[in-house]
Amino acid sequence: MKIEVVRKVLEKNDQAAQQNRRRLDELGITCFNILGGAGSGKTSLLEALLPRLKNKYCVAVLEGDLATTRDAERIAALDVPVVQILTDGGCHLNATLVQQGLSRLELVGLNLLFVENVGNPICPANFDLGEHRRIVVLSVAEGDDKPSKYPLLFKDADLIVISKCDLLEHTRFNLSAALRDIRCVNSQARVIQTDTKTLRGIDELSQWVSAEPLLGKD
Amino acid sequence: MHEFSLAQSMLEVAVSEAQRVGAHHITRLKCRVGDLRQIDGQLLRDAFEVVREGTVCEGAELDVEKVRARAHCSRCERDFEVCDGDWVCAQCNGLAQLLEGGDELEIISLEAEVDS
Ligand SMILES: Nc1nc2c(ncn2[C@@H]2O[C@H](COP(=O)(O)OP(=O)(O)OP(=O)(O)O)[C@@H](O)[C@H]2O)c(=O)[nH]1
Ligand SMILES: [Mg+2]
Ligand SMILES: [Zn+2]
Repeated sequence: MKIEVVRKVLEKNDQAAQQNRRRLDELGITCFNILGGAGSGKTSLLEALLPRLKNKYCVAVLEGDLATTRDAERIAALDVPVVQILTDGGCHLNATLVQQGLSRLELVGLNLLFVENVGNPICPANFDLGEHRRIVVLSVAEGDDKPSKYPLLFKDADLIVISKCDLLEHTRFNLSAALRDIRCVNSQARVIQTDTKTLRGIDELSQWVSAEPLLGKD
Repeated sequence: MHEFSLAQSMLEVAVSEAQRVGAHHITRLKCRVGDLRQIDGQLLRDAFEVVREGTVCEGAELDVEKVRARAHCSRCERDFEVCDGDWVCAQCNGLAQLLEGGDELEIISLEAEVDS
């Protein structure tokens, strides 16, 4: 017999993601999923951003990596609660791994949760983790062609950070071409240019995060 | 290398469909995959061959139907299929905007053997 259906291949992940989101909603926590290629500067952005946010909000971080606890150690050095999720070879986080990570965090009283995904421009974009907002980091060092090469990564982003802008003068990264190509796949996302050496753009980033609707709602 | 975990997820959907209709064997399943997912159809079939072993899908064929992403050129009010990440409108050379779709990732049919 032939069975006609339409079932999402990732339905199990999507259900777990919905559970995560509901749980976070109940607790009044706004969750950000940070995605980008390996070494695009995700942890560095958190290192620049968290000191500004932690005076105003209760913040925690979930660090997703294939191996090592190095990124978690960098966050812990800022005196911010952090849980390392090791994917054990998996190239992306999924909603179940995040669920497990959540169970290892003190969630009561928390306002903001940042989840740093595994550095990879392809796989993580497929998996809803239960976040409220997606932040995609594109570094100048990676090249301006990435929005066209990895449209799935950019198309659902709420914020696109162009990082390492101090390198603009040392590379052939064409900023206007990158911005134009971003608009081909995503007409809505806010774009912020940063540089964690001079802290350019970090205030803007902090304001964008603080403007999230759940915050201040108590 | 997300093909492997996707093949695993496809298997889980197929197994639950088999249970739902009371099938003892699935012989074929068909999925629809949007180009934006950047999934290699051959790799997906290879991965499925590995994960199907010893399950109700043992020996089942996996058909992969690819769906192109579509874009809209606002200058000539024209929709077209995006090939190989090329967002340039062939008519006016203008840049186009991605339309809904092209990110499908779903099982759309199965062929099952049911005990009579
Ligand atoms: N010049 C410059 N280098 C930067 C900047 N931000 C980060 N880097 C460097 O880029 C490299 C990678 O930074 P990380 O913050 O570890 O990147 P990541 O995205 O967290 O890396 P993974 O988690 O391994 O994917 C490090 O050597 C940083 O010092 C920046 O704004 N300017
Ligand atoms: Mg990192
Ligand atoms: Zn045109």
